[in-house]
Amino acid sequence: MSELCFHCNEPIAPGERLVAQVAGKPQPVCCIGCRAAAEWIEGLGLADYYRLRNEPAARAAPSSEEYAAWDRPALQKLYVRRSGGEGEVCVLVEGMRCAACSWLIERALGQNGSVHEVAVNPAARRLRLRWDTGRTKLSELLEAVSRLGYKPHPLDAGAIDSLAQREQRTALKRLVVAGLGSMQAMMYAVALYAGAFDGMDPLTRDFFRWLGFLVATPVVLYSAQPFFAGAWRDLRARRLGMDVPVGIAMALVYAASLFAAILGGGEVYFDSVSMFVFFLLAGRYVEMRARHKSADVVDALARLQPALAERVRVDGARETVGVHELEIGDTVLVADGATVPADGELLSPACSVDESMLTGESSARARRRGDTLLAGSVLSQGPVELRVARIGADTLLSSMLRLITRAAGERPRIARESERMVAGFVAGVLVLTLLTASAWLWANPSRAFGAALAVLVVSCPCAFALAVPAALTRALAVLARQGVLVVRADALETLTRATRVLFDKTGTLTENRMELESVEPSAGFTRARALAIAAALEAGSTHPLAVALRQAAADLPIPQASNLTHHVGNGVAGTVDGVAYRLGRIGFAVGSAVEDEGAVVLAGPEGVLARFALRERMRGDAAEACAQLRERGLGLEIVSGDAATRVGALAERLAIGEFHARMTPQDKLARLEALRARGEITAMVGDGVNDAPVLAGADVGITLAGASELSQAQADIVLSSGRIDGVVRARDIGLTMRRVMRQNLFWSMVYNLAVMPPAALGYVPPWLAAIGMSTSSLIVILNSLRIRPPAGEPPTAVTAVRPREAAA
Amino acid sequence: MNIILALIPISLVLLGLGVWAFFWAVNHAQFDDLDTPSLMPLADDPAAPPSAAPPPPGE
Repeated sequence: MSELCFHCNEPIAPGERLVAQVAGKPQPVCCIGCRAAAEWIEGLGLADYYRLRNEPAARAAPSSEEYAAWDRPALQKLYVRRSGGEGEVCVLVEGMRCAACSWLIERALGQNGSVHEVAVNPAARRLRLRWDTGRTKLSELLEAVSRLGYKPHPLDAGAIDSLAQREQRTALKRLVVAGLGSMQAMMYAVALYAGAFDGMDPLTRDFFRWLGFLVATPVVLYSAQPFFAGAWRDLRARRLGMDVPVGIAMALVYAASLFAAILGGGEVYFDSVSMFVFFLLAGRYVEMRARHKSADVVDALARLQPALAERVRVDGARETVGVHELEIGDTVLVADGATVPADGELLSPACSVDESMLTGESSARARRRGDTLLAGSVLSQGPVELRVARIGADTLLSSMLRLITRAAGERPRIARESERMVAGFVAGVLVLTLLTASAWLWANPSRAFGAALAVLVVSCPCAFALAVPAALTRALAVLARQGVLVVRADALETLTRATRVLFDKTGTLTENRMELESVEPSAGFTRARALAIAAALEAGSTHPLAVALRQAAADLPIPQASNLTHHVGNGVAGTVDGVAYRLGRIGFAVGSAVEDEGAVVLAGPEGVLARFALRERMRGDAAEACAQLRERGLGLEIVSGDAATRVGALAERLAIGEFHARMTPQDKLARLEALRARGEITAMVGDGVNDAPVLAGADVGITLAGASELSQAQADIVLSSGRIDGVVRARDIGLTMRRVMRQNLFWSMVYNLAVMPPAALGYVPPWLAAIGMSTSSLIVILNSLRIRPPAGEPPTAVTAVRPREAAA
Repeated sequence: MNIILALIPISLVLLGLGVWAFFWAVNHAQFDDLDTPSLMPLADDPAAPPSAAPPPPGE
């Protein structure tokens, strides 16, 4: 068991001896970036962060980014809103995980005297800054954030008044008005009920009725607006959605109560209507919070497409410009480890790029002069020059975005089924109300309105409309505490019916890192010596294979290599202790024609010295989650863009029988289509941008918290704890939810069918209707509260602070 | 019973005040972040930063 990094909680490679001084004590860290971050946080007197946080920080990358370009006027015009000597900017902060992060950023920036206001929203991962532009440059502030271990991405000025924030504020106001209003209305209603039994003079009764009207009016006219708007939208589209009966019931109950108050007869239902609005709004509020917690597409573009590019002018001088300033034909310099800003043709002899975000291919691809580089891919060996061929909306990245929106439109809507059911019920209730009214008009016109209203009130709204949302709201809240965010509410129900789970490989079942599986030294050569030489040759390289080799050799004394030459896509050659070595593909190392996937070979002048078998590191809980899913009778399958040998090896380790390799997003969509044709319901778990269209096209799309923002935007469920077994939990709780929903629906149906005939016949006295209505709703709510996390399992995302005694 | 004629309007006025205060708070960003403030009381007042930290900016 290796030690964990004090800052990012990732395991420290054995042999790594870095130590950070925090609170006077040495603490182990995994890399120089983390040490710098930990010591800088300590230096600011902010070491409390480590005690307050409940999720480990992102691994700090030694900051190589150049923030100075953000001070260019052309960029400032787009990103900074100015008023007087003050600038305001909205920044998306990558790596912000929990409330302690926002506390840290707020304190760290607040210590800068020229910053007037720092507002951090950890849920939206946004930072809003107001500062004195005369005293501090934007680049200095961004650099301060990056020194903490986060990656800031300024968003364009329009994001300052974010839509999500306004939506959230309005929803909260509506909810509170409905809550306060319904409490007041209920108090007046209790007085009326008491009066109905003990006698009350009409004047006092009318006084209380008008009071009820007074408090229910803002609830109906202000808080219930979303329902009326939704119902109006549905009606205009000639559909009968859930908002239609809800809206009609609210309007009719309110209008009828108002008439009763004016005419002095009948019964008022101001308390019921406001309570009804409150309960429904509470459910929608919870749903909205979960939706906002997952990201939107704007974030995705901010992270994938770099905002800056380094343009080479005709005279050879370089200048940093915004990507939107690039034109076709420009020559751009891309640094090692940087993201390619636009699609273009490679001008340098060769390079290798990591396109895993776009295509799912986990190993770096070699590119030669004249090949096309894609915007959004990461250069793993550079620097190189490229000539811009496609910009903006024409890039492959943008066309991928369009693919996503189309796939989302074609999503099979299971929701339609339940909507049809509701629509049928609504139509039935409306018909029955009309029948009751016309029958009474013929028999006794004076009682027609009262009886019709009794049918409508007693049957339609509360219990039936609450049966599904109440259970759903409870299930979503329970899951959120377990680190599972359900973004689209109907996904949970679909997940319980899923028959097959498809996994992407890279980044989902595996981490984006390699590990050494075995070393096979040739006769007369030792494992330690082979590793030491390999590590010496790979010193300084960021290639995943190199990192894995260096980690494996961390305990050994590493000799110094000289004459290092990197051959892109093949390997490296160099001299150690006077002997020339080659390390890489077997074809490169010894000139053999036989390919050996998944291994690199170290060769000396006299031939092969050692063979290193490498494999991808599996996610810690992948095996357990797969076993649990299989136990529950689900079919498992891997669909990956990666090579067949690698996919097959992983499938074998996880005992997954079926796998498909070398799949493009279109292939994956076709695979989903084929499964659907067989009647299977599919859940797709993936994380890369290349998975985003597939996530949108699957019946349920599930993604992990560390996934690309783009796929998070397309997912129905986000596993914010980063653990795959969240799928199992979501399914288990979803099953309980379905059972509770069925009970709720059954109960409200029985109740409705039992009371409708007497109501139509005019036999339901007002007090009984009121009691029946409240009790049926209450039973539905209490029944829904039975959805709980499985016993004995502590919630993964702790909301309270747990001081880390062990670490402090 | 006539007391309710005075008490109920008072309660309504208080209710109105409460709603107004809440709207003011929402519009002034008091409810935008519901996670961080719960940690605030647990944080110690910032101690004087050690000598390694940059000197406080002059006003």
